[in-house]
Amino acid sequence: MSLRATLIDEIETITRDQGKAMPPLTDELVLIDTEFDSLCFALLVARMEDRFGIDPFSTLEIADLPVTLGDLIALYDRSSLAGAA
Amino acid sequence: MSGRVVLVTGGTRGIGLATAVALAGDGFHVVAVARRRSEAFAAASAGVSGGSLHFIPCDLGELDRLQQLVQTIRREHGPLYGLVANAAIGTPGLLATMPDAEIGRLVHLNTLSPMLLTKYAMRGMMAAGAGRIVTIASIIAFTGYNALSVYAATKASMIGFTRSLAREAGRLGVTVNAVAPGFVETEMTESMDEAQRERVAARSALRRLVAPEDVASAVAYLVSDKARNITGTVMTVDAGSTA
Ligand SMILES: NC(=O)c1ccc[n+]([C@@H]2O[C@H](COP(=O)([O-])OP(=O)(O)OC[C@H]3O[C@@H](n4cnc5c(N)ncnc54)[C@H](OP(=O)(O)O)[C@@H]3O)[C@@H](O)[C@H]2O)c1
Repeated sequence: MSLRATLIDEIETITRDQGKAMPPLTDELVLIDTEFDSLCFALLVARMEDRFGIDPFSTLEIADLPVTLGDLIALYDRSSLAGAA
Repeated sequence: MSGRVVLVTGGTRGIGLATAVALAGDGFHVVAVARRRSEAFAAASAGVSGGSLHFIPCDLGELDRLQQLVQTIRREHGPLYGLVANAAIGTPGLLATMPDAEIGRLVHLNTLSPMLLTKYAMRGMMAAGAGRIVTIASIIAFTGYNALSVYAATKASMIGFTRSLAREAGRLGVTVNAVAPGFVETEMTESMDEAQRERVAARSALRRLVAPEDVASAVAYLVSDKARNITGTVMTVDAGSTA
């Protein structure tokens, strides 16, 4: 499964487990405008680290935090490339 | 590979070693982390039955190694079920004359390091939806003791950390508790003389000192399945010193 597909899959699983209703998961979706709260976010980071061993957030500055789902996918893409290099 | 994996920091001496041994006896796969493997640890790991006892060297003051440490444990031992944040230093000193760097070292190792380690160790537990975190505080966090103000502050920080984290982690099936030992005879307290020991014992309700094994039993209970409905608490093990 690609990184993008895994991220989307995890977001779907987490929101289902946590009983959150989400709009369609497009790249433009602004995550903080949805029910995807800080706990969901923490779970997502935990599961991604669990599956891929990557964690783009430990060294990130607040200003660089992803806003949209597309930003988030790009952030994971960059850090998986950095890990592979 | 047997048993669920529990990481015990400072698991090579004193309270940490007694805890590692108790947990291994309860069937856990225990990974002790410290800078050096002690002789007492080597002897104990040979005698373990039930679970098992392993060692990974790491200076927990090197904060940028903590995430990697958790990943190494996961790779070599399996997903973490529990963390016992026990390693700490107890440097005494009057605040007015304590070197700034010494104050910094205490906060660094006793507060910052366990917070960051917990952050990374907890992720696997969150992903699994189950886990145990036990921090080691001290009765000095709430009683006060001459020349231990900075140490006391670091231990009090663990209690605040534990209570709030319990709120955060509860929804994910992870419990977070603290154990607050009274005076225990370990290397940390070896500078106390016989008269001081006797005074501490005389002040306790039970007229005796706490052994590392007493603290270890409390930790092992909090890690066990029996403690599944206990979170956000501080368990005092002090032979009644603060009773
Ligand atoms: N003893 C007491 O009376 C008492 C009372 C209340 C609370 N406590 C608390 O109980 C806990 C254990 O105390 P203890 O008396 O058992 O201490 P101890 O006998 O001094 O043992 C400390 C352990 O921590 C490890 N450690 C120290 N610095 C480290 C570092 N930079 N990186 C990695 N590991 C390190 C040590 O191994 P290395 O030196 O090889 O690294 C050792 O395994 C502490 O949190 C302490 O605050 C103790």
